[in-house]
Amino acid sequence: MTKINEKHNLKGTLVCVEGIDGAGKSTQLTLLRDWLRAAGQDVIYTEWNSSDLISQTTKLAKKKNLLSPRTFSLLHAVDFADRYKQIIAPALKAGFIVLADRYAYTAFARDAARGVDRNWVRKIYNFSVKPDLAIYLDINPKISMGRICSNRAPKFYEAGMDLKLSPDPYESYTIFQGRVINEYQKMVSEYGLIQIDATDSIHSKQTAIREKLHGILAGKGVVL
Amino acid sequence: MKCFSKKHEYEGLLIVIEGTDGSGKSTQLELLKRFLQAQSYGVMVSEWKTSRLIAGVIDEAKDRNLLNATTYSLLYASDFADRLENVIIPALKSGFVVLLDRYYYTALARDVVRGQDIGWVKNLYEYAPEPDLVFYLDMPVDILLKRIIGTTGLDFYESGRDMGFSTDFYKSFQIYQQKCLDEYDNMKSEYGFISIDGTKSITEIAEIMQAEVQTILDSGVID
Repeated sequence: MTKINEKHNLKGTLVCVEGIDGAGKSTQLTLLRDWLRAAGQDVIYTEWNSSDLISQTTKLAKKKNLLSPRTFSLLHAVDFADRYKQIIAPALKAGFIVLADRYAYTAFARDAARGVDRNWVRKIYNFSVKPDLAIYLDINPKISMGRICSNRAPKFYEAGMDLKLSPDPYESYTIFQGRVINEYQKMVSEYGLIQIDATDSIHSKQTAIREKLHGILAGKGVVL
Repeated sequence: MKCFSKKHEYEGLLIVIEGTDGSGKSTQLELLKRFLQAQSYGVMVSEWKTSRLIAGVIDEAKDRNLLNATTYSLLYASDFADRLENVIIPALKSGFVVLLDRYYYTALARDVVRGQDIGWVKNLYEYAPEPDLVFYLDMPVDILLKRIIGTTGLDFYESGRDMGFSTDFYKSFQIYQQKCLDEYDNMKSEYGFISIDGTKSITEIAEIMQAEVQTILDSGVID
């Protein structure tokens, strides 16, 4: 049993939203954040690959195609560890509601889709706690691609071009993201992710998420 | 799970020199390199924290004291992975003798001293091949201190100042390096280090190392 499988005892509440690009994660989290703040709650918002320590290095390395599946995995773990220790853990101790745009599950899904050993990645992240609420927005690769690539080609790593699945970035994207989705779907039961259909309306997704969160906060004595 | 015991099946040889800061690793590495080159072997040297991907980030983060124990471990693991995949493995495949200034034993010693779970650290490196030879330059902490003060001076992280062992620079270095030495001591037999008394003369140490390397070469592992 590792920390990410156990309920934490910290004062705060951790909510993460997962799913591939174009699933609508940031839209949902922004709505959630504004609603919670308006209700007088202390909220911290944190995004994947945004740490001061490493995110610029990772972005540059991606641009230059310098990363192998293993270094891709490790650099994202550095980013997560930095944000976890500096932002997420202190905020949870202080009683904040922490909203995370992607969490360790992103690494579990993507790295496994790149062929990195599942247990290896899971062990790396075992310093992190289990979220109180983990939403997975399920979308198929074609719709995701339609949303993010309306005016640009998929990027090298998001299309999994490093795996040489297809010389065509669009086709490669579909295959690679299909694998990522497959990993996510397996985690729904493994980690108790709450799956929501990403093609539902923004409003209906938000309503479903708020309802879940209401219950969790009520359990901690927070009445909105 | 048995860790750190994955024999590689490449043509080349993987030779590691381990030891704390100031134990004389780079001097011996240079001598061993010349010894091998004189016998017409292809030699490739790779030092700890030198990957094109991440070494600069580590230096900068250390300068600005940005690291916690977990990011410290993971950054070094990233540096290692990048060098392993892009320098070390390709050289081994091509039949080079690869000489390494530090290997995963360094991470194990330092990270554990920084409070990381030993199983967690081992997992970070478990995919890497086991070296054919590991030399360990064993130095008592008081001599190390003199050497470091006389050359580079006491660095923040090398002194373990991030651990808050002591506000006194000298004391902090002493405590930190002693803890690292204890970790190395624990690893000696587990990983079959060839431990050499680092207080011996440069020539004596070089001769001991050359004899060990020659034995392996004579067994015909490299054509």
